[in-house]
Amino acid sequence: MITWPNFLSQLFNGAALGALLALISSGLTIIYGTLGVLNLAHGAMFMLGGYAGYAVYAATGSFLLAVVGGSAALVVVGALLELVVIRRFYGRPPEDQMLVTFGIGIVVVELVRLGFGSLALTVPPPAAIAGVTPLGFIIYPTYRIAVLAIAAVVLAVLYVVLYRTRLGMIVRAGIEDSVMVNMLGINVYRVFMLVFGIGAMAAGFAGIINAPVVALTPDMGDAVLVETFVVVVIGGVGSFPGAIIGGLIAGEILSLTAMVDPSYAQVMLFVVMTLVLILRPQGLLGQQGRA
Amino acid sequence: MTDLLTVERINSYYGDSHILFDVSLRVARNEVVALLGRNGAGKSTTLKTLIGAVRARTGRITFDGAEVQALPPYATAALGMQLVPEERRIFGSLNVEENLILAGLTAKGRWPIERIWGMFPRLKERRRSRGTDLSGGEQQMLAIARALIRDPKIVLLDEPFEGLAPIIVRDLVGVCRTLAEAGQTIIVVEQNIQAAMTLADRAYVLNNGHIVEEFSAATMRAQPEVLHRHLGV
Amino acid sequence: MPRRKMILPVLLTALGLILGRFLLPWLQVAPDTANQVLVWGMFGIGFDLLFGYTGLLSFGQSAFFGTGGFIAAWLLTNDVMGSVLAALLIGTIGAAAAGVLVGLIALRRTGIYFAMITVAIAETFFFVENSPLSAWTGGENGLPGVPAPVFRLGSLVWKVGTGWSMYAFLAGCFFVAMVLAMRIVRSPVGAILTAIRDNPLRARAVGHAVGHYKLAAFVVAAAYAGFAGGLLGVLQGFMPPDAFTFDTSGQLVMQTVIGGSATLFGPLLGAAVWLSLRDFLQAGMGLGGAWKLVLGLVFVLLVCFLRRGLIGGLESLFARRGKAAPDEAAAIDLAAPTLSSVGPSPRRRAAPRFDGPVLEAKGLTKIYGGLSANRDIDFSVNEGELRAVIGPNGAGKSTFFKMLTCEVTPSKGSIRFGGRDITGMDVARVCQLGLTKSYQVNQLFGRLTLRENLMIAALAERRGLFRLDLLRSLDRVPGLATQVEQTLGLVGLTARADLPVAELAYGEKRRLEIGLALAASPSLLLLDEPLAGMSPRERVETVQLLKNIRRGRTLIIVEHDVDVVFELAERITVLHEGRKLAEGTPAEIQRNSFVQEAYLGGVAAA
Repeated sequence: MITWPNFLSQLFNGAALGALLALISSGLTIIYGTLGVLNLAHGAMFMLGGYAGYAVYAATGSFLLAVVGGSAALVVVGALLELVVIRRFYGRPPEDQMLVTFGIGIVVVELVRLGFGSLALTVPPPAAIAGVTPLGFIIYPTYRIAVLAIAAVVLAVLYVVLYRTRLGMIVRAGIEDSVMVNMLGINVYRVFMLVFGIGAMAAGFAGIINAPVVALTPDMGDAVLVETFVVVVIGGVGSFPGAIIGGLIAGEILSLTAMVDPSYAQVMLFVVMTLVLILRPQGLLGQQGRA
Repeated sequence: MTDLLTVERINSYYGDSHILFDVSLRVARNEVVALLGRNGAGKSTTLKTLIGAVRARTGRITFDGAEVQALPPYATAALGMQLVPEERRIFGSLNVEENLILAGLTAKGRWPIERIWGMFPRLKERRRSRGTDLSGGEQQMLAIARALIRDPKIVLLDEPFEGLAPIIVRDLVGVCRTLAEAGQTIIVVEQNIQAAMTLADRAYVLNNGHIVEEFSAATMRAQPEVLHRHLGV
Repeated sequence: MPRRKMILPVLLTALGLILGRFLLPWLQVAPDTANQVLVWGMFGIGFDLLFGYTGLLSFGQSAFFGTGGFIAAWLLTNDVMGSVLAALLIGTIGAAAAGVLVGLIALRRTGIYFAMITVAIAETFFFVENSPLSAWTGGENGLPGVPAPVFRLGSLVWKVGTGWSMYAFLAGCFFVAMVLAMRIVRSPVGAILTAIRDNPLRARAVGHAVGHYKLAAFVVAAAYAGFAGGLLGVLQGFMPPDAFTFDTSGQLVMQTVIGGSATLFGPLLGAAVWLSLRDFLQAGMGLGGAWKLVLGLVFVLLVCFLRRGLIGGLESLFARRGKAAPDEAAAIDLAAPTLSSVGPSPRRRAAPRFDGPVLEAKGLTKIYGGLSANRDIDFSVNEGELRAVIGPNGAGKSTFFKMLTCEVTPSKGSIRFGGRDITGMDVARVCQLGLTKSYQVNQLFGRLTLRENLMIAALAERRGLFRLDLLRSLDRVPGLATQVEQTLGLVGLTARADLPVAELAYGEKRRLEIGLALAASPSLLLLDEPLAGMSPRERVETVQLLKNIRRGRTLIIVEHDVDVVFELAERITVLHEGRKLAEGTPAEIQRNSFVQEAYLGGVAAA
């Protein structure tokens, strides 16, 4: 039975999930746009972020430190991956790039399994934002509201970094024409490293703030990776605004379909993706000719 | 006077296609040198090899006392070389001012932006326009401005006047001439030979990847048939 | 395209499978491990055809593995069908049908998009199986009680049991699957698939319906997956729902890459490594879950350093044959009088019978984002003519040329070839009509030999746009070998015919580029800067080649080297700023002051 409160709360769920998906997808899409590499280890980065946050939380008991420490760790992991592995693959075919990032994903998952075991781990939400909040005629978990707010803030920060700072200027220019950036005296490889770090961090950050909502398991990245693909296919690969729109659309589809029949939620998502592919193959905000 | 740039017997390839064959040339400080030749002669490849966007397989390039043939483009650019590429390669998602700021980020001695605006008042008017919205002439101005803001020791201009309306060509030639008179060292590749020769002190002619002729501007004016031999139909 | 003799590999496969029955127990390999390896090996044969041979990396093969498996298992556990083989066959057909549907969507894109879409669609299958269809599939419980086959021949009854008895059944299935795959690989379709992997653009340009062939490969791979999925149920007596998971697809990809792609046996080897490493590390070393970490690391290292996998590594270890340095070989070729003495010329398609110009373009205009690259160009070429198109940089020559070959659709105007309107027609179809071109930048099939390269082009002329002769041997295509030999002779590369393209000198590749266009037997051949990037010596050779091939053909050539143009062309069209500036004999063009002006930019008057 669909009621108004039910509908509103699902709408809210969809927005929270969508913001999270948008965050993860923007990481994938920034990396692809700048480096031209589809990172199949992106789901693993999401998972790793959760575990890094868990480790910091276990050591310090502070959720805030967990978020900060986990994000920082993911920047380092991403940058190192670019430096040690990805850099060898810029001149190789996209299939090889996908294979190697897929392999990296497996290695990361298995390392986490080795370190933390396969059992689900949970991180409690910080006390200040635990509990429920009455929102007019629905009652809603406070932390989920916080997730929506935090994800929106981080997306805004990413937007500011990308569109209002010098680094962002270089990244945007690099997405267009990295060779020309190089010829203007800017070491693009250093930029690439940083971009991979930021992209991994976006996924990892989402992993941490999602940890109080969904328990951590080493395999949790797979499903997220697939949903991220759908988001960027819908929004347009390489487009930051596309990732945000695509994320919100995907979040709402998942959550509104689940209200009618949960078993069709994922199926509906893929139906929409297929429709987009048929009607607008480059994605809603994608540019013709890219990829 | 020592040469700012010396190129000794470089050989460049695209994949396995051999483009430049033992190309040697030199450019003195404050000199404007033109590279002439028909389509496909290897002029653009020469410029790309100088900046490091195409790696010379053999040979040596000495720029301002440093060997640069093995350096990546950003390092060569940091030493004071700037290429204004044929396709202009303006960043369409950045506006005019951002294009300029980006170019100046890592420059050692940067031009104040006012000096750019003074040289290209048109760009100042359009400073907030995105690169994609500029006309061909404006894009070319911006491409040149983007190189100048880094206060380069040498500017490599690849077909700066191609595809532009005559009136804009006249303006741009004027700008280049002012630069040359102020002592800016330039290598210019141009099909519009008249425009090139009003700027250049000296010219090399490339044919099928070989340097086949070198002459001064005076020679060219005295004996135009030299040009006909190499460039005419 | 490997060597075409099949008897030896078939015998070796049979021998290996039979020996396995006796050697493996002696090596203390558990029969269940061997059987799993066979099932994954079969699953992988199809994937290798798709990825290794056609170059399409799908991360969604689990969709078909699961579909085939569950259809077969459902038929068998619900007593709809008694015969296991029949159920397997129906499962295979079901998977192939799913392959058609998925392929039609996923093949709309290539590269990373294709990979992402296959992943997403496979996940859809998983979710559909898991809940909406759980009444049929058992949802998370899968389908238990899948029977093993029973074979009757007269009074003889073989009831397949577990262990080594099952091995015999699976080995038989593997043998059939492998022999079929070997035939596919050696068929014209197999050859075309490798060409699509190496260079889809050129495969299309020589006249193959690339999209259809890709779909064919996709469906074949789905069928193999479906068959293997069915066997998984039979082997385990139970159809597990995790056949549908992303992990399954991932494992398949990893096994294939570890073993070596484009080998057919790679997936089998990869599965053997995978499963034995698992058994060894898990049971033997007590390392528990670490086995997958080790495999992951091995996989990453292989992708980084040994992309062709274990089989590829072994091959290059054993195949250290001495290779002639390109320069040396080129010198030999030049000494041989192949280029100047003209052998039999490869055949040409009969030009369409038509009075009037072979090619006639009217009012050709191309506008890119408001800027016109070409405006109102009228152009016509007569039968047997050699026409050159020249013009300074930015004159619009390349756009114009691409419109003539239908690579670019004109914004306005029309093109008629042999009296037939070809405006907006597909490139492959235009080539089938007898119009093709050689490219300015070599577009070869990089991993094939020279002979195989030419064969690809000749096949298009022999077989038409699309044909599904999956089981026909390449040797059985009438006239193919002659056509290839003649083209080889014409471009002077007979001595180098069996070298991979990568080992040729640049000038030789350039001639092969022209040879590819010739082998498609065009009646009208367009040459885009045939001399681009050549050394002086190579230029001389190529000019001679152009003189040879012009006999009886209509040629249009775009070339920067005006000396060559004036030497060769009968008539010259000059483009300037997107328009036709002049047209005439070389002498007329040389006298034309507009042309001089355009080329010299102002100093011509002097």
